[in-house]
Amino acid sequence: MENNALVVKGVDVLYGDVQALWDVSLEVKQGTIVSLVGANGAGKSTLLKTISGINRAKKGEILFSGKSVTHLKPQDVVDIGISHVPEGRRLFASLTVLENLKLGAYPPRARAVFGESLTKAFDLFPVLKSRQNQKAGSLSGGEQQMLAIGRAMMSQPTILMLDEPSLGLSPILVKTMFDLVASLNKQGVTMLLVEQNVRQALKIANHAYVLKNGRIVMSGGGEELLADPEVQKAYIGERWRKK
Amino acid sequence: MLKLLSFSLVTQLVINGVLFGTMYGIAAIGLSLIFGTMRIMFLAQGTMIIFFAYLSFWAFRLFGVDPYLSLVIVIPICVFLGAALYQGLFRQAAAEEDKNISLLIAVGLMFFVEALMTVGWGGTPRAISTAYSTVAFRPMGLDFPLTRLLGLLMSILAAAVVVIFLKKTFIGMAVKAASEDIIATTLMGISPHRVNSVAFAIGIGLAGVAGVEVATVYSFDPFFGFNFVLNALISLALGGIGSVTGALLGGIMLGLLQSLSSFLVPGWSDAIAYVVFLLVLMGKPEGLLVRSVKKA
Repeated sequence: MENNALVVKGVDVLYGDVQALWDVSLEVKQGTIVSLVGANGAGKSTLLKTISGINRAKKGEILFSGKSVTHLKPQDVVDIGISHVPEGRRLFASLTVLENLKLGAYPPRARAVFGESLTKAFDLFPVLKSRQNQKAGSLSGGEQQMLAIGRAMMSQPTILMLDEPSLGLSPILVKTMFDLVASLNKQGVTMLLVEQNVRQALKIANHAYVLKNGRIVMSGGGEELLADPEVQKAYIGERWRKK
Repeated sequence: MLKLLSFSLVTQLVINGVLFGTMYGIAAIGLSLIFGTMRIMFLAQGTMIIFFAYLSFWAFRLFGVDPYLSLVIVIPICVFLGAALYQGLFRQAAAEEDKNISLLIAVGLMFFVEALMTVGWGGTPRAISTAYSTVAFRPMGLDFPLTRLLGLLMSILAAAVVVIFLKKTFIGMAVKAASEDIIATTLMGISPHRVNSVAFAIGIGLAGVAGVEVATVYSFDPFFGFNFVLNALISLALGGIGSVTGALLGGIMLGLLQSLSSFLVPGWSDAIAYVVFLLVLMGKPEGLLVRSVKKA
């Protein structure tokens, strides 16, 4: 258990009367990339939102470094080191790039090392540096995704949760995005990745879970799941057929 | 009638309009900030303004405190009271999905404060008359009462302070961010209660400034507040919600509209203001001065 950064145990989540997650359990080991894949509406985003405290678990437990975070509010979850890049990025469009990054460093712990984090973010995304005084809403889709990740990194997270970072990006940018995930991971950031691009997500994952209708139906090493005929048929084959 | 519209008269009407308009404007800034983070119209804003007008009136009447000097204590009290109002009255309701609860609390607060003032201070209109209340500048046949000029100055200063606060401080930026996306704001580690109480502190602080202006410029009674908040609402509709300068300019537009219409068609100025309010809401509900921002 020592090297588990994040543990989700038997979590149920309901939206009103509708149950979205059923007895979901997963583990994210320190320093790894864990991918969570599945179809639209399977409950992937719901799970991330539950971990970050936006949604409440009706049942079950969420542990971060061995301590329960099940009942923490979102602002406190960030403070202890779990950063969530939500679906659709949700940047502050009317604020500048720099202001968005500043807000990412809001927790006092992160504010203390703001200069350092900013240099790091600009090294990672030079385009953000050259556009720092531009409104976030005026950036291109790829730049916005970079800003969203840069903003999340400003809080100095131990674990970064990315919800569909490749959504709406061109194929070249999709590759850049996955390279980035891998490189952030090499720098020591633990990753929990939600993706509809199943092939890529499984390829870079140390471990992966398949979510279907609110339940974890499969789990295993990334490559292992990628080779699984059932996964191929249900998620990857489908992608090719669509094209 | 056109003959009556001499240059000096138009200038006078315009200037009066601007002077009153900035007062609506700072009330509207308060509404806009509170709406931004809480998603409710704080209908008690006007009544709070009148409440502070009374405080300033009694401080002058009983202790001889100059109304402008009283700002030094009124503003800090208001800022503190604003945060306390949020924590005491709205904190619980703000967490609810249903915003009507918060709205009803605001309405309840409005009637409560109104009733309190009526019982305590009676319904007779009050006004502060100081040694300088009748001082005016009269260049070229125009007439600028000193109190109105000071009011204008205070409004503009107050708006500028708010703009700088929102732009330059962490928590000010957080208030702006929260008015765009409160969930994303919490994901940055910012407590929604924190931004809500800051929005309230600023809103009520501005009500304090407006209260002193009202006390020195108008005569007022406890029921004047509702009228005032309606004017602030119209200002918001004109200027667009979500920007400080928009709210201020919306107030000025309304001031001009009322000032000109009350001269051209006496008695109709309120009716005309509400018609414009409705037309704007139907035609350009985001406000006349707003360019739509692309959503990220």
